[in-house]
Amino acid sequence: MLSEIAIIVVRGVAIGSIFALIAMSFNIVHGATGILNFAQGNMFVLGGFAAFFLANQVDVSWWLLMMVVSGLLVAALVTFQGWITLLPLRSAVEQDSWIISTMAASIILGAILMITQGPFAYTVQSVVPSFRVFGVRTPGAYALAIGAMVFWYFALRFFLRKTLLGLAISAISQDLDAARAAGLPVRRLQLIAFAISGLIVGTAGFLVAPVISVSPDAGMRYVLNGFVATVVGGVGSNLGTLIGGPLVGVVAMLTAYKIGGSYQDLASLLVLVLILMVRPQGLFGRTTARRV
Amino acid sequence: MTVSKTMDSGAQVSVSTTSRARFNSDLPQVWIGIALIAVTGFLPSLLGNSYWVHTFHLVNIYIAAAIFQNFLFIDAGQKSFGQGVLLGLGAYVTAIFFGMHGYSFAAASLIGLFAAFLGGLLFALPALRVQYFHLGFVTLSAAIVFPQLLMSLDKWTNGINGISVAVPWIHHEVIFGLSWLTIMVAVYPMLALVVHYAIRNSRLGRQMRVAALSPEAARTLGVKPGVMRFLAFIIASIGTGICGILYLPAVSFVSPQGFNMEMSFLFFMAVVVGGRGQLLGPIIGMWIVFILPNVALVEYVDYRLLIYGTLTLLTVVLFPDGIVGSVERWRKARSVLGRGEKAFRIDPFLERLKNNTQFTPSDTEYAVEVRNGVKRFGAVVAVGGVNMKVRKGEIHGLIGANGSGKTSLLNVLSGLSRLDEGSFLINGHDATRMAADRIANTGLGRTFQTPRIFTQLSLWENLRIGLDASTTSPSEGIRQLAAQLEAEFGQDNAELLSHGQRRLVEVMRVVLKEADIILFDEPAAGLSQSERADFAKLVRFLSRNLGKSVILVEHDLDLVWGIADTITVLEQGKSVASGAPEALARDPAVQHMFVGGARA
Repeated sequence: MLSEIAIIVVRGVAIGSIFALIAMSFNIVHGATGILNFAQGNMFVLGGFAAFFLANQVDVSWWLLMMVVSGLLVAALVTFQGWITLLPLRSAVEQDSWIISTMAASIILGAILMITQGPFAYTVQSVVPSFRVFGVRTPGAYALAIGAMVFWYFALRFFLRKTLLGLAISAISQDLDAARAAGLPVRRLQLIAFAISGLIVGTAGFLVAPVISVSPDAGMRYVLNGFVATVVGGVGSNLGTLIGGPLVGVVAMLTAYKIGGSYQDLASLLVLVLILMVRPQGLFGRTTARRV
Repeated sequence: MTVSKTMDSGAQVSVSTTSRARFNSDLPQVWIGIALIAVTGFLPSLLGNSYWVHTFHLVNIYIAAAIFQNFLFIDAGQKSFGQGVLLGLGAYVTAIFFGMHGYSFAAASLIGLFAAFLGGLLFALPALRVQYFHLGFVTLSAAIVFPQLLMSLDKWTNGINGISVAVPWIHHEVIFGLSWLTIMVAVYPMLALVVHYAIRNSRLGRQMRVAALSPEAARTLGVKPGVMRFLAFIIASIGTGICGILYLPAVSFVSPQGFNMEMSFLFFMAVVVGGRGQLLGPIIGMWIVFILPNVALVEYVDYRLLIYGTLTLLTVVLFPDGIVGSVERWRKARSVLGRGEKAFRIDPFLERLKNNTQFTPSDTEYAVEVRNGVKRFGAVVAVGGVNMKVRKGEIHGLIGANGSGKTSLLNVLSGLSRLDEGSFLINGHDATRMAADRIANTGLGRTFQTPRIFTQLSLWENLRIGLDASTTSPSEGIRQLAAQLEAEFGQDNAELLSHGQRRLVEVMRVVLKEADIILFDEPAAGLSQSERADFAKLVRFLSRNLGKSVILVEHDLDLVWGIADTITVLEQGKSVASGAPEALARDPAVQHMFVGGARA
């Protein structure tokens, strides 16, 4: 009984850290552009594929190098995708074309993975050995997931508050027009935000590849759960993702153990609907004054 | 001078006899759409080509689903990525009761339709609270979860094996080699098209579009945006559920894989590629995104998701209006012209409303009364104890520096935000806790700092939404006025109006609404000197000739002093002075507001 609770909590928090990482990658782009990138889930899975092709059964130094490579590759791809997404926003009155274009990008990426890799789930060997928590053997990648969440939380906090570049991005999330008027290169900063979000999911997907389903159709599920984590924590709040992610993860684990693995996504959907009905601004979200 | 003026206004009012290009091509698109569906639906059967018969059964069912997606997406502004779920519910539940439990097809269909309706309710519930991308994710999740549930609940759904059904009678020939099924799946999308057109041109449809484009403006016109969204989801779920019922005999088999996300994407992408909001869009879009990969490039069928995605991305980047939308835009740019200064003028029309009655402000009755109103936003006190009385029929100026709480007070009066303390009355009735739409229905109308002009609607429709908001049947004068406005502006493009004209459109909208209390929020901002003079005359006319009470928030103090009967001064959220203009000009509390410290 106790070990079951331990499994649910430890694995739930670990899986939830992955959702939190995706949520943080949502937040930085959303802050800078108002866009929620639907393709982020497939970008994350791409990190997993990078681990399979570049760093399966290798030594630690090579593995570390490849993690950086994976992050940079995905960052480059997300930047390119962001550039395409921002193109029609330059002039058009239609401001929500991004919902369609990021969705289309997600479909394209998933389709390319499906065509080139087939509908299989790939297994990646873990570099970090498994360990015991409360007497339960736990894969090392779970610890990496939690570690990555904490690392990226503090890295983003430092970046957004202490560096000039980060402050500039914070400025455009607060008031885009004022930032533009002050002479900030808004479009370039927005692309940098896309790049950072790619760096987050690219490294995260790489790190946790041994414990996720590295398959072409997994992306949608991660983007969904990442979004639920974002909404639970409050859109825009990285602190919120530290709570939202693990919460969604534990609910998913609990569902898997008590009802069945195929009901995990249903549970996440119910959490999403519940939070939207009860507290749409999320746990750490702020209410804003209406603008008329 | 006098002669030319008369001629001018005469030309304005007379019905223009020269035929002008249509503002939108909705009606021709309906006819073209019906013709295209008829050809593809009936011709293959007449020629006896069973491959195309079957293909177009499916295509035409999907077109109907995409038509309802188009309606939901554009007319109601709801971005749903889960319409495939509603079709799947209709098909699967019908299959379960018909194929597994031996119900008659008609009875099973009704149950299936009810299931789709319930699905629509589930989508509509979160839509009442949240909008924008949230709803997209909720519906997307539903599209992910639905096939998973069909698999897991195998006790009821037969799981991965799916359900086979046979409906023999539906394939029997009725006439000219056409079966019941062929007739039904061809007629249904035509019907869907007509329904979409009819809703769009009804009062409900116009209110839905306004609610989608500007919820605040809709609320001040007596519309509940939540109810509009809810109705839209219900209409779309029933329409899409029927597609599911037709899908069943057309395919004779349902399985969980048949209703994965791809189906929902297909409907959405067809609308985008064809042209968002264009009635013909779903037909052209479906031909391209479905027929191209599934028929023309059949050996590359594995690439169809890639093709859907690429076509959609290219459309968004290169032709944001979609195929039909781009053609329509080109047509409009060629033929619908602006009319410069003549594009919209209000005075010749108001002349028609003129009667000999002269109204004077009442001394005993109040249109609006605010008692110690307080409105806070977090720690910021926007309105901090305002007392104000607006007499019936008077022009009441509300002045004060930026941030003194004028607009916040207007928002409270129109119900867009609520007082934290105190109360206010409208026509003697407490309205403190009333929602914006109810306040609007008690006879209050307002304009906004930025005029709410909807370029998707023709100029006449922009005015007509005021008429739609009227709670009583229109008076004879308004009826005549409306007829003239329709004849004059029925095909005009509101996008081409100047800023001053847009303001006047909003004023005319409120006149048509027959609101007896009108709130103006900085109406003169951005108007030229002569436009200001015209506007002052207009406000005077509204008050003295039509007997309306007016609250005027304005920075142009000369304008306010020129026309107001009473002026209230706000400072840092408090009412510091109130009275007749002449008396107030000498009030030391007001003097500092004028350049040089005194009003000349």
